[in-house]
Amino acid sequence: MLDNQPTGEERTVTYVGGATIDGAPIAYIVVLSAVCTALAFIPFSVIVALGGSFPLSQAIFPLVGWILGPIAGAIASGVGALVGVFVAPHTAGIPAVRVIGAVVASFVAGSMRHGTRRSWWWFPITVTGVICLALFGGRAMVQNGVSLWAVVAGAFIDWSALLLFALPTRALVSKWISSPNPGLMATGLGLGTWIAAGMAHLVKGMITYFMYNWPEDVWVTLIPIIPVENLLRVAVGITIGTGVITGLRAIGLVKPREAVY
Amino acid sequence: MPEAIATFDKVSYMYPRSTALVLRDISLEIRKGEFLGLIGPSGAGKTTLCLAFNGIVPQFYGGRFFGAVNVAGLDTLEHPISTLARYVGIVLENPETQITATSVENEIAFALENLKVPRDEILARIPRVLEAVRLEGMEHRHPQELSGGQKQRLAIAAMLAVRPSLLVLDEPTSQLDPVGAHEVFRTVQELNRELGVTIVMASHAAEELAEYADRLVLLNAGQIVDEGPPAKLYTQVELMQQLHLRPPGVTRTFHYLRKAGFSIPELPVTLNQGIAAIKPLATACHRQASEGQLAPAPRDGRPLVSVTHLTHTYDDGTQALRDISLDIHRGEYVLITGQNGAGKSTLVRHFLRLLLPTDGEVRIDGVPTRDLSISALARRVGYVAQNPDNQIFNTTVEQEIAFALRYLDMATGEIRSRTERSMAAMGLQDVRDRHPLSLPRGERARVVIAAILALEPEVVIFDEPTTGQDYQGARAILRLTKQLHNAGKTVIVITHHLYLMAEYAERVIVMGKGTLLRDAPIRVVFHETDVLASTYLTPPQAVQLAQALTEATGIPLLCLTPQEVAGALVCDTTGRSL
Amino acid sequence: MSSMALRTVDRDSLFTRLDFRPKLFMIAVITVVAFVWEDPLMGGGLALTVLLACLAAGVRPGYIRTVLLLMLPFSLILILTQGFFSGALLTNLTGLQPDSFHMLFVFPAAWPLIGSAGLSWEGVQYALNIIAKSLTMTLVIPLGIFTTDVDTMIVGMVKARIPYKIAFVFSSTLRFFPLLFARTQAIIEAQRLRGLAFETMGPVKRLRVYARIVVPLILSALNESQMLDVVLQSRAFDGSPDRTYLHDSRLMAADYALFGLFGLFLLTAIIGYVVFGVGKFTGVLW
Repeated sequence: MLDNQPTGEERTVTYVGGATIDGAPIAYIVVLSAVCTALAFIPFSVIVALGGSFPLSQAIFPLVGWILGPIAGAIASGVGALVGVFVAPHTAGIPAVRVIGAVVASFVAGSMRHGTRRSWWWFPITVTGVICLALFGGRAMVQNGVSLWAVVAGAFIDWSALLLFALPTRALVSKWISSPNPGLMATGLGLGTWIAAGMAHLVKGMITYFMYNWPEDVWVTLIPIIPVENLLRVAVGITIGTGVITGLRAIGLVKPREAVY
Repeated sequence: MPEAIATFDKVSYMYPRSTALVLRDISLEIRKGEFLGLIGPSGAGKTTLCLAFNGIVPQFYGGRFFGAVNVAGLDTLEHPISTLARYVGIVLENPETQITATSVENEIAFALENLKVPRDEILARIPRVLEAVRLEGMEHRHPQELSGGQKQRLAIAAMLAVRPSLLVLDEPTSQLDPVGAHEVFRTVQELNRELGVTIVMASHAAEELAEYADRLVLLNAGQIVDEGPPAKLYTQVELMQQLHLRPPGVTRTFHYLRKAGFSIPELPVTLNQGIAAIKPLATACHRQASEGQLAPAPRDGRPLVSVTHLTHTYDDGTQALRDISLDIHRGEYVLITGQNGAGKSTLVRHFLRLLLPTDGEVRIDGVPTRDLSISALARRVGYVAQNPDNQIFNTTVEQEIAFALRYLDMATGEIRSRTERSMAAMGLQDVRDRHPLSLPRGERARVVIAAILALEPEVVIFDEPTTGQDYQGARAILRLTKQLHNAGKTVIVITHHLYLMAEYAERVIVMGKGTLLRDAPIRVVFHETDVLASTYLTPPQAVQLAQALTEATGIPLLCLTPQEVAGALVCDTTGRSL
Repeated sequence: MSSMALRTVDRDSLFTRLDFRPKLFMIAVITVVAFVWEDPLMGGGLALTVLLACLAAGVRPGYIRTVLLLMLPFSLILILTQGFFSGALLTNLTGLQPDSFHMLFVFPAAWPLIGSAGLSWEGVQYALNIIAKSLTMTLVIPLGIFTTDVDTMIVGMVKARIPYKIAFVFSSTLRFFPLLFARTQAIIEAQRLRGLAFETMGPVKRLRVYARIVVPLILSALNESQMLDVVLQSRAFDGSPDRTYLHDSRLMAADYALFGLFGLFLLTAIIGYVVFGVGKFTGVLW
């Protein structure tokens, strides 16, 4: 009961909200997609010192999945990456791979949930991951003569991400990200970024490997570099994710239905 | 009396997850063809009221709703928003977020496409509405190629294309420069007077509403406090001031005159009324009312900022600055003004080394900026950008203020003491553990200022600090600038809101098309209306009234504020001015 | 900010007159075929054809030069790695043993670590095949996209049965990303103006500071998105594809012909590759 009851008669309000995709407001999807495109033009120059570079947009694809959910997140990241490719194809590497990587990172991140009607999604995702890994590693060993140890070490981030996703750790990620405890949240973001970025790397790696067919020497060279690069993604993911999620909670923005935070 | 086109009957509303009514018992009738102004302080419920016209409140937001809103005979709770969109066009504050399409014609077509208007009909309507808002021939332009005023006019055109019964505008000019604001008001006035479009406009632009609106509704805390013609509402000066609203300068001037004992039967609300009313009051005794300086104060020592023959040409060939020379000394309070594109920001960016001169030189305390790094300069020249939200990187107020200090190899004790001093100076101690974004906009701006002050700069630059702020918010920030100035800082403010600056700035630098048009004390510059007009600026109404007095009596009267104009006309018993 | 919009070519050509749908199909087919073919001669031919088509369609030579220059370092790495190290792969693909490879260059045996290592002509050919693939996949995008007006692109997407909501996200992204890019620059500047000297920071510190620019970017964008939602609502937008369109997109004879041509090309290429081994790497390019 309100103090000073209004004089008008209370009406039944039919809440319609706005247009949504999989429970996420389309306006959220639009702005996050535009953020992905804008960040595709910002190289993460810190990494250049280590011999490679990735656009800053790569660091937010998992976060987009946690904010919007797997489907809306994948659309936002995918369209964002696609527009980036269309506007500046020369910055994209293999254009299609860039878009696929964005979609996978957000989709996998958004799917790290338990106790929802989508709990079973982990299974087909894991199977797909296993197939990619088998094709990727199999081609390396069978066709290109890469030794088992080089494949195991070189694909460390891929199989570790797949394993962590298949195990109940994926549920821990969503639990920790939604925790009010900043330490737990950061751990969840770190672990989640490792998994999502690793899975995206696996799918992208599988496609590009069929093109590049790197010999063993390249695998060996990349063994120490790839995990460091993924750790950098994790560090960036934690820094950005903590800031964004605590900020979202402070603003009190309406949470999309499938959000994990 | 013309028929009502929209009615509010005992409307009250509460947003979801809130326990307070944001609108309370609103009963209101909008008549066909009228221009209704909505005024009230921030948080009064103006935006919510605007969004209730087309059912967005409550259908989009949810929440609890009482009473009824009827638009063109439709109850806004019984018809979907898409149906109501045929009858009510809404134009919002931010010119950027409300243009969603990639070209002018697509923007106009968007609502029509959603309403399933046939293609041929859409094609026929586009040129008509573009003509109505004077954007003919711009069909294929990308929104990015339009100025702020043009974007708002495009938003109006997009709404007009639907042929609504009512056009609702929520603060359409608050983020525009004077040229843009003038364009929008002129367009709206023409639509209202020539095409008979019914207008509801929420705005803080008192001078313009007084000129154009038929009727005003004053809202406070969700309730209608009063309604009536501008002459009825704006003349309640004390009520306005109580609610932190600003009546037109001309009304305030006559209010002070009335308080001083002049017989003013009706307070004027428009400039023309004021000029007509003030001339008979001119007496031979009036005088230069203030002690403000008319010549630049003599300055000793090395200037803090020294600009010599500065020219800057951008990579695309645009010459943004041409042969600018000026000095700024310690302890000055300088206003830099001019139209959009005049070169104000380009100039200031040289003080920060964000740009280097194409020609000429900029020195900070005698050292060319070329020889300094941006980070080293930032510790001497603080810069507060327009949007505080772009400058918040941390999760608590305290961390935000200490953020940069932590990376400057400073001792922990020093970081702590600087953070505490800054928080105290900005009155933020009580919110130190809050997330900056959970604070109201005014306080967020204070957090950013505190973070800059923690670096203990000698100069603080405020870039458009009053844009998008209501009168109270703008005054609060300007009081802070004064506080810093009193504490010995050199303050530079960039703005085109001249009416706000009379009480603060000492010196004014006027820029136009990349050149320095004038650099003189404020009392001189504000009265050089030709110089101001050449860069599309209008002096405050008090200045214009003083000029009318000067014209009438031949005695120069360089007043800046309503109080000064009133003071200049008050004579003591000996016939001397007080 | 000139790069912050979809580029379009000035020249009117067959490509600008075609509908977006056959062009989308063309991009997909060429990408798949480039992916499949490993023969450097056929892959190179495809890359050259796409490059010439780009020039014919009016894609600026300067742009193509930029693409080629950007690919140069990666191409050199490819030539060196595949030329020196791809022995097992080449043996598998060609049946040739490493001792029968044609060596272009061999390091003197006495040199430590790299002594006796040799750059094989077969390995270089394999690298050329990868370079051709990459070039084709990159250049086919400007060929299809720079020659399409954004309005027809969106209508084309809807007609190609891409859900309207996704087409809308696409067009709105094109509208809003330049604003967000400009804001990113403003945020980076705001950070530097806090006195942070990136140049003197260690990589980890720099990374932690630099990454934070994304925080205000995302938060302010999401905050404004609520107003965007209000704007969309007030313009009767509900995401439904049941609406009219200002721009039209109709398939003409040339569009159908292109569909047919690329359909046939894909079929031939796949059958040729699988059944007759056309496009497979043979290592014989003289």
